[in-house]
Amino acid sequence: MKKINYKGIQGLFYALLFITSNFVASASSHREAPLIANDPLADNADVYAFRSPNDTNKITLIATYVPIQFAHGGPNYYSFGENIRYEIHVDNNVATPGDDITYRFTFHKTNQDPTTFFNIRLGAQNLKTTFTLEKSTNGGTTWTTIVNNGIVPPPNIGYRSIQTPVGLNTSYSALFNSAITTSSTGEKIFCGTADDPFFVDLGGVFDLGDLPRQTTNINDGLKFLNVSVIAIEVDIAALQKNGQGVSSATSILDPNYVIGVWASASRQQIRTLSNNGTETYSGPWVQVSRLGMPLTNEAVIPIGKKDLWNSITPYQDLAYIDSFKNSFYNPELALYMDDSLFGSAVPAFAPLRIQRNSLQAFDFGNGQDGLFSLIGSAAVAGTALDDAIFGTLLLPAAGSPRSVDLWPIFHTGVPNLAPYHLATGKAGNPLANGKPFINNFLPNGGDMLRLNMAVPITPRNDPSFSSNGLIQAAVLGLTNPLYNSTTAIQFIPNMDGFPNGRRLEDDVTKIELQAVSGVVLAAIGLWYDDYTAGGSNPLTTDLLDVLTYTTGVNNNDTSFLPSFPYVQMPWRGTAEGGGLATPFTQAACLVSAPLSTLGFATSQTMINYYPNPHTDQVIFKFNLVKSTSFKIEILDLQGRLIKTIGEGNYGSGEHQLVWKSDNFPAGIYLAKAIEGNRIVQTLKITKQ
Amino acid sequence: MKKLKYMHIQNMLPVFMMLLVVSFAKASSHREAPLISNDPLADNCDVYAFRSPNNPNKISLIATYVPIQFAHGGPNYYSFGENIRYEIHVDNNVATPGDDITYRFTFHKSNQDPTTFFNIRLGAQNLKTTYTLEKSTNGGSTWSTIVSNGIVPPPNIGARSIEGGAGLNSNYATLFNNAVTTASSGENIFCGTADDPFFVDLGGVFDLGDLPRKVGPARDGLKFLNVSVIALEVDIATLQKNGQGVSMATSILDPNYVIGVWASASRQQMRTLNPNGSESYTGPWVQVSRLGMPLTNEAVIPIGKKDLWNSITPYQDLAYLDTFKNFFYNPELALYMDNSLFGGAVPQMGALRIQRNSLQAFDFGNGHDGLYGLKGSAAVAGTALDDAIFGTLLLPAAGSPRSVDLWPIFHTGVPNLAPYHLATGKAGNPLANGKPFINNFLPNGGDMLRLNMAVPITPRDSKQFSADGLINAAVLGLTSPLYNSTTALQFIPNMDGFPNGRRLEDDVTKIELQAVSGVVLAAIGLWYDDYTAGSANPVTTDLIDVLSYSTGVNKNDTMFRRKFPYVQLPWRGTGEAGGLAVPFNQSACLISSPPPPTSKARIINPMSDPLSISNIALYPNPVIDILKVNIQTESASDIQFKVSDISGRLIKEIQAKGQEGANQFEINLSEMKMGIYIIEVLENKQQRSVHRITRSN
Repeated sequence: MKKINYKGIQGLFYALLFITSNFVASASSHREAPLIANDPLADNADVYAFRSPNDTNKITLIATYVPIQFAHGGPNYYSFGENIRYEIHVDNNVATPGDDITYRFTFHKTNQDPTTFFNIRLGAQNLKTTFTLEKSTNGGTTWTTIVNNGIVPPPNIGYRSIQTPVGLNTSYSALFNSAITTSSTGEKIFCGTADDPFFVDLGGVFDLGDLPRQTTNINDGLKFLNVSVIAIEVDIAALQKNGQGVSSATSILDPNYVIGVWASASRQQIRTLSNNGTETYSGPWVQVSRLGMPLTNEAVIPIGKKDLWNSITPYQDLAYIDSFKNSFYNPELALYMDDSLFGSAVPAFAPLRIQRNSLQAFDFGNGQDGLFSLIGSAAVAGTALDDAIFGTLLLPAAGSPRSVDLWPIFHTGVPNLAPYHLATGKAGNPLANGKPFINNFLPNGGDMLRLNMAVPITPRNDPSFSSNGLIQAAVLGLTNPLYNSTTAIQFIPNMDGFPNGRRLEDDVTKIELQAVSGVVLAAIGLWYDDYTAGGSNPLTTDLLDVLTYTTGVNNNDTSFLPSFPYVQMPWRGTAEGGGLATPFTQAACLVSAPLSTLGFATSQTMINYYPNPHTDQVIFKFNLVKSTSFKIEILDLQGRLIKTIGEGNYGSGEHQLVWKSDNFPAGIYLAKAIEGNRIVQTLKITKQ
Repeated sequence: MKKLKYMHIQNMLPVFMMLLVVSFAKASSHREAPLISNDPLADNCDVYAFRSPNNPNKISLIATYVPIQFAHGGPNYYSFGENIRYEIHVDNNVATPGDDITYRFTFHKSNQDPTTFFNIRLGAQNLKTTYTLEKSTNGGSTWSTIVSNGIVPPPNIGARSIEGGAGLNSNYATLFNNAVTTASSGENIFCGTADDPFFVDLGGVFDLGDLPRKVGPARDGLKFLNVSVIALEVDIATLQKNGQGVSMATSILDPNYVIGVWASASRQQMRTLNPNGSESYTGPWVQVSRLGMPLTNEAVIPIGKKDLWNSITPYQDLAYLDTFKNFFYNPELALYMDNSLFGGAVPQMGALRIQRNSLQAFDFGNGHDGLYGLKGSAAVAGTALDDAIFGTLLLPAAGSPRSVDLWPIFHTGVPNLAPYHLATGKAGNPLANGKPFINNFLPNGGDMLRLNMAVPITPRDSKQFSADGLINAAVLGLTSPLYNSTTALQFIPNMDGFPNGRRLEDDVTKIELQAVSGVVLAAIGLWYDDYTAGSANPVTTDLIDVLSYSTGVNKNDTMFRRKFPYVQLPWRGTGEAGGLAVPFNQSACLISSPPPPTSKARIINPMSDPLSISNIALYPNPVIDILKVNIQTESASDIQFKVSDISGRLIKEIQAKGQEGANQFEINLSEMKMGIYIIEVLENKQQRSVHRITRSN
């Protein structure tokens, strides 16, 4: 399958050839297709791509594999598999077919002491894993080895195996940090187990879309679980098609800085089991899993086609368009966001309704025409919907209403061109030019995560930082006086967020559900049904319902690291995550725990922390009923203040702080939680 | 590999030919070997075999597969795999080679609505699974299909998918019960997802033996997790080698009623991945996983040999003796129970020490001779240690101290013959005849779970029922006046427990660790080092230390059902298990005082009456407004909550309906004063538990 030619002139008008019809796909995928669910080692979980928050000249690419890893999954703890090619693919130029840069990781295991059933004993480690990294810059024709014998940290089994002399006599953070290496071509590389940065209420969403849960407790289905992470930090100049650094970008939406990223796993065609408990692999390599955009194969592709979808590359997506297009033009999820279809069957999605009568003219319900009636009309002349510009890319046929929003988000990226400007400055005409807010257009037709590397970074500690990503940028561009008084290109916070790339923090499940319910259409001026064309305020109840929708699980179960590889260290096998909280213990403490030991519980603020005892770090979680200033002070047993954590203002809701106690001696400490000027709780913490 | 000839005369003196040396293995196995941990669908977890508590003429055989299943592992929930042969093997006659009865299950999946990504929608189910059961009674030469199109219940996704009108419009108990079927040859059969009945602190034990934990609280690593269960309930007469029912047994230790049970999974030799995302399988079938005794391949076989061990059958174990024998004669775990070796490195097992100087004569430390010095002597004449009786089975060589206890437990079963009688009545000579307590001898040399089907059942609601299994029976036989005043054969409670078969309740991790530390040797009179031969009381500190050892996780995370298939309904994807319990409440509790395991909420008589609540948890405590109550019940029942103040005044009474399975209720305390309240939980008007709750703001 050849990539579509990209005849771009400057940053504006692209002509696409040969696109007859199109489709859309989205992907985070854990156990997402029948066959790959049975081959966890080769199962792609997620892909992330973002400018490194602490190094603006670099991009971080992260692919996760081997989903739903119990921290205590011994004696053979989870890790990467041998005989598998784990690959991260980058397309930076639509004019060249296939990958422009490919990173291929292969893993090798050895037993340092095959006489024990323990994984780690007396300094020796079994199933000790190393990796080779090869790189190709010509679509896989030739390969260069850029890392040899890269180190994968051991599993974080527990205190005895990691810290004591019976084990490795070190600390997990030391093992984790020393596994970061630099390749011969300059990339920083990390391969190892980490906390799964993804978060989603798996139990709820797959119980017929019970998201947020209507009757039972919301749970992050990936809480306390680990995943195998491949992370690459690479210079923008190494990814940009002409080798240019970000300082050469002509604007923050420079079209020459768009990359498409996807990841895959491949196995050799034939596996032969022998009679002595070994196996051999032979034959050509076959792709068994892939991932670009989150949730595509999990919640868009129906079960009958999931295995096929995993087997093809993004560059083949167009050739299979007849198999998949309707899953995007008329997505299954949209059935549950439409009262005339199955909307009433999924009450959890009630705030999410699709435009059936936008501007009293356009119907985006499944099976309806959307904007198709405008095809060839003067109204779309010169816009991205003009056949002369993009062919029939965006208006392929009647009855394909979501070809104008979901499809380009997932398969081409979105150009900086009407109608894909914010409604700001459009004076009521969605097809007019308005305020630019995205350009991640790389129209090869395949499911990829697309990032414009020229878009600046929203600092993670900026109050404007939002896990709502580009949706948040659109809201600001429409409503905030800083941005909505001009159609000039401005950096709006979170323009560097999903679906313009994907940051670890981005709440992609929510954003995609909002997108299915038409929020992108609304952002460009195709407002919800309760807005009357020409009316003064398009921020109607329907729109607010969509914008305030939440899945109930909005952030990860732990923090991220401030530096590469950014993912958090893995949950420990003997810790809170390793064996689940016990209701028996809970019931037990109900019998005995007196209130006084919880400190001055004079507020509804409740602080909880874990693990206890701890070794490296302790995590505090607290729930605020209203916005307030808050901090945690760590004191030693003599009452001396030794550390203040997280001092600042916090909104209502759940928050988390971490105390890294690496540099403090073992012993007992006190943590005072202070809200305003008031101590609300004093906690006893044991560091081992 | 041919089975050893079992040339027995009556029930006493079996003679073994050609046993040069012998090996020893034990097995529960979750992710236990490198290769199979990467193929979860074909991964054996556990095997159970016990007389059915509610039908003493039947035996229940249970094999579990596909370990560590999250209840919320959607959208493609865990189940059995296609293209795999799941087999349960029974050996009832050492004179016939290989299996005497084999059950082979194969599974098939179909999509009723391939247009959705949901597993269940509008009455249709995807990956809907059915099975075929074939049976062979001639070692696999010919097969008869005894169940066609057997039903596997759907995954227990959640209320919307199971009970809801947009889902199946049913309830999970109905789906589960309807899946029990009867084979054309009379067996009751169930295949489906259930709560994993096994319990073990995985995180602790594999952190270099941190069991019970010295660091942090003990945790059941399989709590809230499901497993794929194959269960059969079979007439004893069908399993007994001559077709005899249990009423024909000559004694409760009749040697003709011993069966050996193991389970396996096999795949075809070649898997070919097709470019369109499908795969095909060809070639002969290859065994990829097996399990007989719990924990063999998890904690006995070292990593370098685990894959090989999974690939051979028990009938091949003797042929591989040189590869595996030393892991049993001198087990790795024993290194950590011996102060002269690595005992100091695993202080958690400090209570478990091996006899290094039993009766001031015998050293069972790794590398020492144990009883080998007696070989050929008059002292062992006529006992199981006599070469003329069992060949060199039990005393193969010097430096193999555990050939006399661990090896027969796992590879042959234990005969009703000295020295394998309880010390009761031996008058200080461990080699003398004493009180019989076991006969599960089926000496084919392979790792199997061996059950003497003639041993009576200890009722599950008996006060004497114990998860310590045969260890508990031995303790009673040595110490209880009911049993220790005679060497006559008596039924001692829990003689039907592991390692004589395995009941769902049996705490096999603890029992095996105790066995490694020599408790079986002690039971037959080879007492611990702090007993002086000839003195009055062999129940020494060392013995009490071993007997009172606990791993910290002593029972399953939920109860068992009272009827076939006995395993509990699976955890629900949207329940407490589907996303793990919230740490908040728990750590809030732990701040105060890590409660000892004994101070748990009093669950009153959990087994002894017809009530069905198995698990009650209330949280958070302290509570601000809404107290949540999680209750697991075995059947629908009326549940009542009584809230009283600290003076005993009844303040609030709430009636609720409990459905079978997991329930959650909320008690609103928002209008009550701050303070301490007593909450009683009643089921069908009988008190089940009492909790003290603090309301704070």
